[in-house]
Amino acid sequence: MTRHRGLGAGPPDEYVEAEIHRLLTEDPAVAEQGISVVRTERALVLYGEVESAQRRDEILRRVSERFPDVPITSDIGVIRKQAPTEIEQLP
Amino acid sequence: MVIRIAAVGDVHLDEDVVGRFRPALEEMPGNADVLLLAGDLTRHGTEVEARCVAREFGGLGVPVVAVLGNHDHQCDQVPQVVGALEEAGIVVLEGNGVVLDSPGGRLGVAGVKGFGGGFAGRCASDFGEPEMKAFVRTTTESADRLAEALHSLDCDLLVALTHYSPVPDTLAGEPLEIYPFLGSYQLGQAIDSAPTALALHGHAHHGSERGTTPGGVRVRNVAHPVIKQAYSIFHLGDHLDQAQVSGIGAGGIQQSWS
Repeated sequence: MTRHRGLGAGPPDEYVEAEIHRLLTEDPAVAEQGISVVRTERALVLYGEVESAQRRDEILRRVSERFPDVPITSDIGVIRKQAPTEIEQLP
Repeated sequence: MVIRIAAVGDVHLDEDVVGRFRPALEEMPGNADVLLLAGDLTRHGTEVEARCVAREFGGLGVPVVAVLGNHDHQCDQVPQVVGALEEAGIVVLEGNGVVLDSPGGRLGVAGVKGFGGGFAGRCASDFGEPEMKAFVRTTTESADRLAEALHSLDCDLLVALTHYSPVPDTLAGEPLEIYPFLGSYQLGQAIDSAPTALALHGHAHHGSERGTTPGGVRVRNVAHPVIKQAYSIFHLGDHLDQAQVSGIGAGGIQQSWS
């Protein structure tokens, strides 16, 4: 992964967004391809769904650790796992 | 007669989620004739994680048939992953198929992981650098194996199981730019070359549930983040009325939707 230069002042840029997106997949502690990184004026927002609260916490921990100066907001949910209450009929 | 198919993909098992699906899975016998797993069963494709899958999805009382996904290839332990799953009685397909006897008839399932490449008019071509040709040929070979497997099965009802998507319809919700990494039209072409009744896939976490191949075969994206439940159940049969409300009451599965 290319190290990003000049993380400090200013809003998060496209390169930070790209690096975080790759980190989410390539960091073995995360290995998530289903998390979106959305750049807003003030912060980067992570959203998507994962299989456990532990994985959700780990994502935020790893990203914050790697990019301590980038304001990150997490809106990651844990996927529901109840039995289906309906079926789909396919004639 | 009706064949009842339960399916889910992208469960990404590891120690931290073992037991999570089990309560819902315990309700499955009596409500489904088979469970199909549409790849990405593990996080990194290790044997240890595959043993978690085996614990979670083994010994269910219904046959379990799976294909692997890209995550299941990450640590280059595919033989060990397949071995651990097979030890638990899970059938793992890759370019082959299986026919299962069910009360509703003989269900044939043909499976491949599949690969990317994109969709008609916006796809990669077998041209140029060796890396690009290898990419496209991987897809083509996978689709060819799927077609061969579909045609090899003698059954009453034929289902195609892949990890990558055969159509763009079920990718709706994903960024358009990544469609070529989520599936390929060659898989759809293979599905349309046989009398396939249903195609199931995963991989596209932000995609949508329903689609149709150009040949009219129904496609369902059963990635866990898409279906938002432990598994989906499909009833397939000639006499079914799409508007009919199912009489199934066990396990909280009470009504149909369409």
